[in-house]
Amino acid sequence: MAIDIKGVLSPLSALGTLFEHPKTITYPEVKKEIPKGYRGFHINDLEDCIGCANCQEVCMNDAIDMIRADKEYNPKNSSACIPRIDYGRCCWCSLCTDVCPPSSLKLDSECIHAQRDADNFLYMPKNKKDIS
Amino acid sequence: MSEIQKAIKIFHGPQHPGITGNMSVELDLIGETIQKAQTHVGYLHRGFEKLIERRTVVQGFTIVCRICVPEPDPNEENYARAVETLAGLEISEKAKYIRTMVLEMARLANLFMWMGGQAGSIGLGLIPQWSVCDRDYMLDLFEELTGARVYHMYAFPGGVRRELPEGFLGRLSDLLDYYEKRIVVYNNTFFDNVVFKTRAIGVGIVNKDEALKNAYVGQTLRACGIKRDVRKDMPYLMYDKLDFDIPIQTEGDVYARALVRRDEMIQSIRILRQIIEQMPSEGDILQKIPKHRKFILPAEDTYVQTETARGAMSYYMAGDGTEKIRRMQVRGPSLIHGFTLLEKLLVDSQLSDVAMTMNSLGICPPEIER
Repeated sequence: MAIDIKGVLSPLSALGTLFEHPKTITYPEVKKEIPKGYRGFHINDLEDCIGCANCQEVCMNDAIDMIRADKEYNPKNSSACIPRIDYGRCCWCSLCTDVCPPSSLKLDSECIHAQRDADNFLYMPKNKKDIS
Repeated sequence: MSEIQKAIKIFHGPQHPGITGNMSVELDLIGETIQKAQTHVGYLHRGFEKLIERRTVVQGFTIVCRICVPEPDPNEENYARAVETLAGLEISEKAKYIRTMVLEMARLANLFMWMGGQAGSIGLGLIPQWSVCDRDYMLDLFEELTGARVYHMYAFPGGVRRELPEGFLGRLSDLLDYYEKRIVVYNNTFFDNVVFKTRAIGVGIVNKDEALKNAYVGQTLRACGIKRDVRKDMPYLMYDKLDFDIPIQTEGDVYARALVRRDEMIQSIRILRQIIEQMPSEGDILQKIPKHRKFILPAEDTYVQTETARGAMSYYMAGDGTEKIRRMQVRGPSLIHGFTLLEKLLVDSQLSDVAMTMNSLGICPPEIER
């Protein structure tokens, strides 16, 4: 039976990679840059939010509750309610941001949420003003 | 002691690194030779087809991508195209080009992942590490384009949800240059590897007549010498304006299917290069559609097909004049390959070939249990 010389020798070309730099990064010392537009945590511009509950209505996972705001952020918010997200249910489809009439609800690129307490999955979107 | 008394029964999966997802194969063995194989599913039933019936058109699109984890985009495309056909929506040329681009990017990402699984199934541990890394570069581009790495939720009834980021096509072109170099490396280390050839040639042979009779699809069909591809047979999006070949082989075994997939990667790169060149700079990416409670589908039905990296994926969709879809049925390659074909191919083969054969058929259990 003829020996497949090429088949034996050509895989040895993999040895060349021994002299290449690793392609991995040393997380957490070096963090990967998250691109602009990544669908991460919600932020809400409370000065613009009108409390219409469109986001709650479109969410098929029932991940959004409208809860009473601690103070009046926007005089045009007739319901005086703002959205709270349950990250145990959210699938980050961003339909809620698509249907937001004043475009106050958005997704930010921040995406790390490790908590021991399950109640911490109930997330109040940060006010855009506080972030910027 | 009779032969049947000497036989032992083992379950290959669902917790097994050689299985391609949440399913198992019940094997009757004498020694290491398989006497009988029976596929079992039911470990991942999520009932997507039923869930869709309770949602509006807009809400439904976010769950179809979960029907196949390694390749969600063809599901999004099928869903969007079926809704557009029923609702009479015409999407812009730019949106069509972007969707075609996303489908080909998904094909490449899926084929890199397949390569890892195929090489890993015969113990070539280096290739999976490389190919998963190379797939990740594509996921980086998906992340930039769609905002997510795996479940993109990008193709939407009426077009696509986001504009191309600035300089995106240039970065895609650079990645394709890199992939062209990598395919040469994979040729040397995997496709020409004597270990892979010895293991894969002559194993899992699919007969041409049987492939036609049982409606096998994708590489399983093309590795028997049958030139069938939905992109050519029933062109959708911009495929009729793009120049590409359908790679075929004639042997019908695991190795032939691997070679077809390798050649498809080369063709995908060729298609993407043409898309980069032809991409219109102007045009709407998303048509205006009614609000989600007012998006009514007429009482009609439609059937759409998309060529995935594993074969033809089809959706039947029927509306009933309300805001909800009356019925949606998914027909993917996995059902026929995972039951009819796999059970037959495994008889008289060796236990060590189960993972390799399964991987070469492109079986994705979530898609069986949609």
